[in-house]
Amino acid sequence: MAKLKDVLLEDSPGKRVLLLGNEAIARGVLENGIGVVTTYPGTPASEIGDSISLVAKDAGVYMEYSANEKVAVEVAAGAAVSGVRALAAMKHVGVNVAADALMTLAYIGVRAAFILVTADDPNCYSSQNEQDNRYYALLGNLPMLEPSDPQEAKDMVKYAVEISEKLELPCILRTTTRVSHTRGPVTLEKLVKPNLKGRFLRDVKRFVMVPANARIQHKVLLKKMKEAAKISEESPFNRIVRKGNGEIGIVSSSAAYNYVLEAAELLDLNAEILKLGMTHPLPKNKVVKFIQKHKKLVVVEELEPYLELQLRSLAKDHAPNVEIYGRMNKPELFPSYGEFSTRTVIEALAKIFGKQPPANFREINEKYADANKLLLPRLPILCPGCPHRASFYVIKRATGGKVVYTTDIGCYALGIQSPLEIGDILICMGASVGTASGISKVIDENVVAVIGDSTFFHAALPGLVNAVYNNHRFVLVVLDNLTTAMTGHQPHPGTGVTGMKTPGKRILIEDIAKGCGVEYVKVVNPFQVEEGVKVLKEAMQHPGPSVIVFRAPCALLVTAEKRRKAEKIVPAEIVDEKCTGCMACVKLIGCPALVAKNGKVTVNEALCVGCMLCAEVCPYGAIEKAGKEAQ
Amino acid sequence: MDELNVILTGVGGQGILLASQVLGVTAVKEGFNVRVSEIHGMAQRGGAVISHVRIGKKVYAPTVLEGKANVILGFEPLETLRNIKYASEETLALISKEIIVPTGFSTQPVEYPNFEKIIEKIRQFTEKIIIIDALNLAKKAGNAITRNMVMLGALAATGILPLKTETLKETIQELVRPAYVEMNLKAFELGYAAISK
Repeated sequence: MAKLKDVLLEDSPGKRVLLLGNEAIARGVLENGIGVVTTYPGTPASEIGDSISLVAKDAGVYMEYSANEKVAVEVAAGAAVSGVRALAAMKHVGVNVAADALMTLAYIGVRAAFILVTADDPNCYSSQNEQDNRYYALLGNLPMLEPSDPQEAKDMVKYAVEISEKLELPCILRTTTRVSHTRGPVTLEKLVKPNLKGRFLRDVKRFVMVPANARIQHKVLLKKMKEAAKISEESPFNRIVRKGNGEIGIVSSSAAYNYVLEAAELLDLNAEILKLGMTHPLPKNKVVKFIQKHKKLVVVEELEPYLELQLRSLAKDHAPNVEIYGRMNKPELFPSYGEFSTRTVIEALAKIFGKQPPANFREINEKYADANKLLLPRLPILCPGCPHRASFYVIKRATGGKVVYTTDIGCYALGIQSPLEIGDILICMGASVGTASGISKVIDENVVAVIGDSTFFHAALPGLVNAVYNNHRFVLVVLDNLTTAMTGHQPHPGTGVTGMKTPGKRILIEDIAKGCGVEYVKVVNPFQVEEGVKVLKEAMQHPGPSVIVFRAPCALLVTAEKRRKAEKIVPAEIVDEKCTGCMACVKLIGCPALVAKNGKVTVNEALCVGCMLCAEVCPYGAIEKAGKEAQ
Repeated sequence: MDELNVILTGVGGQGILLASQVLGVTAVKEGFNVRVSEIHGMAQRGGAVISHVRIGKKVYAPTVLEGKANVILGFEPLETLRNIKYASEETLALISKEIIVPTGFSTQPVEYPNFEKIIEKIRQFTEKIIIIDALNLAKKAGNAITRNMVMLGALAATGILPLKTETLKETIQELVRPAYVEMNLKAFELGYAAISK
């Protein structure tokens, strides 16, 4: 066991190593000759692309961070229709962006394997919604696999390659946060060098989806899915686990299966479990047999009643007397929101079958409620030295808080917190631009839209073109911290580096804005507060859409670079004689490194990275770089 | 041992993910089944962090059942209290006394609860409490960022882990950047010595 890069490249079949679910999927790529991997970073999917980026050159894989998920799917599809195995990875909401391509890719199919990984996020740990992407398999008529742990995640990459090539169809691999971000032991198999040389064989009737061809290809797709149903009936991933006496049967998939297994053991429940790994199409005969074998059936799945709906429909025709429990009739036991835990499943099963839970949850609740009284919330915040804090301070100064702020997806969504409070509406990637257009059309006040650099490249361009074309009057502020920060510092088109870790053409946001026809375009360093305020005030007077790029690198990158070069990080220092205790610094910028205590401000040196924004806002010049006086 | 459930909890930036990984990798080396469950992304930006490590023959669920943790490795008192529902009277709470005041509310300075009061509430769940000055020991080792290794050393010294201390140290050597190995191992030793004496 060693560093991730070595583990991913280690050719020792049979060796057991600890891998994150996402790393296991990446290892699956390398063991199955997948030649092209595309992604747009997004939690909880990011480590799939990042792991491949780490080893792409050595493994002979082509990897790219695509501009967005739709492009990622199209690039991977291009490779797969030309005979090179491909995988596109994204978070659940990324599939919404890619859906247009995906739904019709199903009609034309592929010639080499194509795997679409969707990482869903029950409980919205790092997402704007918790949609259940299993419905995309139903919607698009695509086969789907759902792993429960890292080992299965890797095994299913292999299986997805087989299915995809047998059916000549894209195959969906659907994880959740607790699969993608759980580490577990994984047994390595042989590495298989990918073949990157493809050939595009013309077949207009199959690949050009004009209506006449699409009508035919739709039928082809339906026929393929009949084949898929046969595969599902025989799939080793759809299997019965545990012995029962015929009274109780439980059906489950994904992360929920793990909780079911533990709950059944802890409750000493005489229950058989049908573990479904290939969940589209369902193995109908296998499921019907399982239903018929039992008197009572429980369906345990997170989020939507995807399995339950189909099971109930099968039971109605084939086993109408079996009692079925799930969220459709027991929403109080199996909520449609959030994620499950072993406790959720234990409490539900204990209630349904009159069993005693292994822990006194009520007592735990009561004691915890008492302990809870002492707790303070600890929310994620913008880091010390974050350039977004400076940008938000500038925006607040220039606008006086009297405008509507539309915001977007990224670290800067944390700008909604006190005292900066920038962000009045947030929907999805790129929506800051579109919503600003609509809001500005119908209200009297100014509108300021806030978007990050990576998000700008991902989804702002059509919105910006639209704003210029239709002359929507608002200021678009692009917070350019020169990285995709929230998801782990991946490169993007504005960084000049590619997923292969080679130089790429750097595209400047201001050039794009000008190219789109925006007349007022300025680039400012947000730490130059007065300049920033002046420019923003000017932009708000502009009669059409305007763009200001606030450019300063992510504070985490700055400090990492300094540490790497063994440069000293010099924090700020309060000059006691000048500090009046007015608290302006604390009240205006909300930096975690500034601590107010007994009417005075102190700097937490462990946190402060010396960005000196606080010195900019101090009305008495009482904040300086540490050690300045001594010099 | 059927299974060992460890909750590691603290604040983003304290090195909890690496500490969890060291436990997980070591357990795999020693032939156990393992689950380590982490939260990445938004939750890490200075927010509350919890990581579940489960070691045993039959561990399936990625997360620990409430009341079933064998150890709560608390990197910060308030965060230990936040996750105390995983404890029972059998649980060992090994707590670093480093206080990190939540900063999301710096405009209205919050009153961080009295340390003794926090421990008192924790005691309602378990009497088995060990308090350690991990931050100072880490500074003694060379840098505050090695406090996660101090905590691991302390955990190893309690004898509750089914893992060999030598294997843990070997894993630290593999996972930490070469230039920092010595400092991290020193931190581990200081944590170990603080508990075993």
